[in-house]
Amino acid sequence: MEPSDDVALDIIITNVVAVFRTRCHLNLRTIALEGVNVIYKPEYGKVLMKLRKPRITASIWSSGKIICTGATSEDEAKQGARRLARTLQKLGFKVRFSEFKVVNVLAVCSMPFAIRLIDFTKNNRPIASYEPELHPAATYRIKTLKATVQVFSTGSLTITGPNVQTVATAVEHIYPMLSECQKPLRK
Amino acid sequence: MSSRVCKNCGGTDIDVDQARGDAVCVGCGSVLEDNIIVSEVQFMETGGGGSSAVGQFVAGDASGRNPTFGDGFCTGVGRESQAQTLQNGRRQINTVGHQLQLNQHCMDTAFNFYKMAVCKRLTRGRRVTHVVAACLYLVCRTEGTPHMLLDLSDLLQVNVYVLGRTFLVLARELCINAPAIDPCLYIPRFAHMLEFGEKNHEVSMTALRLLQRMKRDWMHTGRRPSGLCGAALLVAARMHEFRRTIKEIISVVKVCEATLRKRLNEFEDTPTSQLTIEEFMKVDLDQECDPPSFIAGQRKKRMKLLEEELEKKIGDVQGEIHEYQDEIEMELEQSRPKLRGMYASCAKAGPQEEEDDEISLPDGEEREDEELKAVAQHLNKDLCDQVISGEEEEEDGEGQEERPPRRGPSLASLLGPMPTAASLGLPESISKCIGEEKENDGDNENGELDLSGIDDDEIEMYLLNDKEVKIKTALWMKQNEDYLKEQKEKEERIAKEKELGIYKEKKPKSSGSKKRAPIHASTANEAIEKMLEQKKISTKINYDILKELNIKPSASPARQTAESPKGATPGAQRLTGRYRKPTNVPLSLGTPLSTLGKRLWPFISAQPPKKLALDQKANPLPVASEVVPHSVLVESGPVVYDDVADEEEEDEEEPCVSAMELLGGNEYGCDDDDGF
Repeated sequence: MEPSDDVALDIIITNVVAVFRTRCHLNLRTIALEGVNVIYKPEYGKVLMKLRKPRITASIWSSGKIICTGATSEDEAKQGARRLARTLQKLGFKVRFSEFKVVNVLAVCSMPFAIRLIDFTKNNRPIASYEPELHPAATYRIKTLKATVQVFSTGSLTITGPNVQTVATAVEHIYPMLSECQKPLRK
Repeated sequence: MSSRVCKNCGGTDIDVDQARGDAVCVGCGSVLEDNIIVSEVQFMETGGGGSSAVGQFVAGDASGRNPTFGDGFCTGVGRESQAQTLQNGRRQINTVGHQLQLNQHCMDTAFNFYKMAVCKRLTRGRRVTHVVAACLYLVCRTEGTPHMLLDLSDLLQVNVYVLGRTFLVLARELCINAPAIDPCLYIPRFAHMLEFGEKNHEVSMTALRLLQRMKRDWMHTGRRPSGLCGAALLVAARMHEFRRTIKEIISVVKVCEATLRKRLNEFEDTPTSQLTIEEFMKVDLDQECDPPSFIAGQRKKRMKLLEEELEKKIGDVQGEIHEYQDEIEMELEQSRPKLRGMYASCAKAGPQEEEDDEISLPDGEEREDEELKAVAQHLNKDLCDQVISGEEEEEDGEGQEERPPRRGPSLASLLGPMPTAASLGLPESISKCIGEEKENDGDNENGELDLSGIDDDEIEMYLLNDKEVKIKTALWMKQNEDYLKEQKEKEERIAKEKELGIYKEKKPKSSGSKKRAPIHASTANEAIEKMLEQKKISTKINYDILKELNIKPSASPARQTAESPKGATPGAQRLTGRYRKPTNVPLSLGTPLSTLGKRLWPFISAQPPKKLALDQKANPLPVASEVVPHSVLVESGPVVYDDVADEEEEDEEEPCVSAMELLGGNEYGCDDDDGF
């Protein structure tokens, strides 16, 4: 939609979460002992491995399922996951990189205006919910996109969705509603 | 009755007789219905003379089975589970509702919500209490009662966010739009709790006005309404001369002090806060402020911009400094040899002499002086360093310059960190005398710092301090050797176990310390005494001495053994002495301390460091275990149970002092009282 292009909003992706499987059983103790940046969490039954190059934290389970968090883009997530798989391969496991999927993308965006949350919630009754006692932001869930947007009164937005495209669409979707309830700035 | 068609003749004329309960076709005479069931309401007389309807209310969704058909006692049995759930829910709603002082209408509405939730299966996987609380809160919101989610969570002792989550799910699924909370709703409630007496209403009105002002000033979006209420009430109370402290308010409003202070500060930033009380009551400013968090964000941006500008300015200034630097260097080259004398005078005298001596540096420099001085403040530190480092090169006999010291301080302070292509020696020599000059200036201006002569010493002190730090570190390492060793050992153990595959993260705490050996005693007295020994072992009481008081023959060997091992742990020995009696407790090498009961652990480990001399701090456990069999062997069995039992109870407090005297006094002490 046009309005967002005009204003040139910066959507900054802060976190990308991806999962993949190695298709083989992993011995967590070996990883914990021989890995360089690993934290063993026996009470949860997983090992946390942190990579530096793409800044990524991966939770590794013995079943071979791995969750990769902390990347700043989808490509980076894939690259990090690949690197991780290669590391595990070097440790001696027969890993195969399969079923890589980005499950969650978190982005932040800032509107150049402040927003009247109560009006916003009233206009978008069932979809938006605002509980000041619990959380200072109004939560707007877009079912079609399966995305959630948290709107703060300062105009900042936090968007979570299954992929980057959804996030962008969500921002476009919500922009007109926000601009309706904007508070004109005096300064 | 329904007019039906007769089966035989097709006629529609049917005669229904209520009295006999028949439906008969008039045309052909065939009986269509017999024993018609009547749906009428019957009344019966109740005890007080009134009449009530016969029958029961049955919900539409309940099954037909009604167990209270004939008998009335097994009501719970056989009821369908949904009905049971509903009944349970209703009961809980009523309980909590009464605690919140909700009226019956609210509770009924809540129950309706609950029924809807059950139908939509929202109770699955959630605690009934949570769902009940969510229903009640929903009612509170729709009715606008001044109940906060916090109140509910207080009552039920559940995390407020958990309740909030359930509430949100409920509201969403039931498609109920709870109106947003207005902080104004809470004012009457809090005002009442703050007990303003007669002026309650006025204070409330003032607080409401304040709140509305806050709303207009955008302080209320995204904030807990209770915090705003608290701030408004505080100000309102003060306006009406009620001294309500912040603590009182936060206990009523249930926010923390920091929040309240922050709200007050934000309110202070608004232009409304500048009005007087009367003005406030009359006038309402039109301006609306921006939300405080937005302002904070803007402020940060502005700070960034300012910093960038400042950096730019410094860049400009530095360009100018370059010019002056070149000029100064030229001047210096001319008047070099005087520096040494100058330096000496720098050290002693004030700047006045130099000022008089100053002649003619370009006047343009004067203007820049002030600007540069400001920047020079930053670099003063570098200056001192340079002075000190430059002192060594002082012997080169650089040109003394009286003028630059005056002008120079600010300039040279910048000269110092900036390497010049011209000559490295020059700037340094300048900076050294300038540095001295600067220090002297500092002396004269402040009159406090005597840094000029002391710098070297201070630095030397710093050097010493480093050594001290090292020594300290060494000491600390020595002191905590045990702990560090333990950590290493633990790691090794874990590593070993890891290799062996027996790794267990948490070693389960040995429950052996809690287990007590069963007491076998022939008489009640024995039993009591044994139990006393095992249980109540106070650190303030020297049981050994207690026993020795009675049992002389066996006491002396005990004392001997107590005193003989030097430097060991008399404390532990005493423990074992205590354990002379219960023969059922096996006092072998490995077991003694583990069977000594839970309370003895602190005694064993805590005592030695405190009571014994430092060199005796060595591991008490192995020593004690060594000692134990020793003492066991020496001490003979015979024990006079009864006497000692009595004596124990009588003399527990008194012999403390005498025991100390007996044994030399410094081995027994009182640390933690086990409670007698």
